[in-house]
Amino acid sequence: MNRNDPNHPWARLTAAARTVTDDRDTAAPYGFATRVSALAFAAERRQASLLERFSLRALGIACLLTIGTVAANYSVVSNLFNNEETSLVTTGTGDDPVAELVDVASS
Amino acid sequence: MPDDDPPFDLAGCLERVRQQDQLAARDLVDHLYPLVIRIVRSHLPRRVPEEDLSQEIFLKMFTRIAQYQGAVPFSHWVSRIAVTTCIDHLRAQKRRPEFRMADLSETEAEVLGNVMTSETDVPVNDAMAAHELVHKLLDQLKPDDQLVIRLLDLEQKTIAEIAAQTGWNQSLIKVRAFRARRKLQKLFQDLQKQERS
Repeated sequence: MNRNDPNHPWARLTAAARTVTDDRDTAAPYGFATRVSALAFAAERRQASLLERFSLRALGIACLLTIGTVAANYSVVSNLFNNEETSLVTTGTGDDPVAELVDVASS
Repeated sequence: MPDDDPPFDLAGCLERVRQQDQLAARDLVDHLYPLVIRIVRSHLPRRVPEEDLSQEIFLKMFTRIAQYQGAVPFSHWVSRIAVTTCIDHLRAQKRRPEFRMADLSETEAEVLGNVMTSETDVPVNDAMAAHELVHKLLDQLKPDDQLVIRLLDLEQKTIAEIAAQTGWNQSLIKVRAFRARRKLQKLFQDLQKQERS
């Protein structure tokens, strides 16, 4: 289809259609700008608060997991400390090789 | 009468919008509304109110405003958002109604019959019917092709202007225009067959 051909039906139809002017007002309706700008900033705030809420929730979950882990392994941790205390009491020097050497030299 | 309004300080307004100034955002919407509403009205999908579509375009604009780097004029950048939003809505419409002579009004059918059978121009008082007819014919095309033909044949924009408004490259626009014209040609042939039968 050659649109430059003025005799083509499409060319004549569009030429007639172009003569119809749109007289409608192009100014924003009353309150439109206020509503849209409020919605735009509200959406941004909502996104920020959502992130905030998720990060706080993640912190809470992390604390609970830490407490749970410590509670579940409490006996192992306490035994470890007890054993260390016992070895310190028996040798008096613990596992420190320098202290043991000094101890042997002095005796 | 001279216009006493000072020119709109777009750069300053954008800066204030980026700093979350709601008043500046309102000024920006007021300033861009005529541009956006013209695009919306010329590409308005069926059953979508123009105010809803304009609102959606402005909300997209505010969401992406941090990405605007100034590589193209701001009005072109907003035009592209408006055009792509309209096309998305047109694509979302599941089915284009089939074009049938029986669905046309009496005047539309008469205008169509006249342009297909004679070589005379459409009378001035039938311009509105021609306008409606053109939009019904364009509805038969794919949304992207519709947009190209509307801009070329109704708004008489150049390929370069369409490229600036849509962000598409010029070769793509030419291909779309060629494809759309071929489809329109076929549509006219079918209508002529219907007319004869």
